Amino acid sequence: MTFTGLIGTICMFPLRGIIAVCVALRIHPNILTFVGVLINAWAAYKLARGHFIGAGFIMIVANIFDFIDGKVARELGEVSKFGGFWDSVLDRFSDIALFIGLIYLYAHMGRTDYVMVASFAMMFALMTSYTRARAESLIDKCKVGFMERPERIVLLMIGAFTNRMAGVLWVILVLSIFTVADRVLLTYRVLRDQAGAATT
Amino acid sequence: MKRAPLPVRMLWNAFFWTFERATWQYDLMVIAILAFVWLMPPDWIKDPMAHGTGPIGWLLHHWR
Repeated sequence: MTFTGLIGTICMFPLRGIIAVCVALRIHPNILTFVGVLINAWAAYKLARGHFIGAGFIMIVANIFDFIDGKVARELGEVSKFGGFWDSVLDRFSDIALFIGLIYLYAHMGRTDYVMVASFAMMFALMTSYTRARAESLIDKCKVGFMERPERIVLLMIGAFTNRMAGVLWVILVLSIFTVADRVLLTYRVLRDQAGAATT
Repeated sequence: MKRAPLPVRMLWNAFFWTFERATWQYDLMVIAILAFVWLMPPDWIKDPMAHGTGPIGWLLHHWR
């Protein structure tokens, strides 16, 4: 088993219990998604005030809700197209809220350089999701690139807990640019090959 | 790309990322990212919230 696989397995133990509680209480998965966004907004406020450790703990709670909503939906047999759509839309709000928290913090400190780094990181983080969604309306699957939402969230938590947010923002920015480029390139190749196959 | 030299292929695979989570390639990428985040001296990237030269600065200081 790989190192990251082991961490995933360990984290699944408490999550299974939380999922079981939510299923027993028959909490609708769309409500879990919405609560996750509200908690993320609280984390964003903490980030904006520079309370990184507090923000880190709140992000953990928020992302438990984010993580379990799909699993609770499957267990309750409440999987729906709208649920998937709702989850994707609210995930973007959560992403944006966290970045806005950091942008506010750096703006308040008069650090326009990091206002720009955080803004570009936010832009490419959103484009990562958009390029995949748009690509998958044209091609079967567009799951390439390293920096997806779980990686981004874990990195923001690491940045918050260890007070290394600047380094984390640079990593998110650079790898999100690569991820967007990967998705554009893959979509171009697949569509080109499809067009080539259609003409022969 | 399959006929390119190994370092070129490695760079290309790191750029054009197609590996799943929980693979050894993913682990390697995670280690590289964590090394950058934790070892990069905050002063070098003008971190607004953290200061100091970090482990690399400490090593360089004792090396000289």
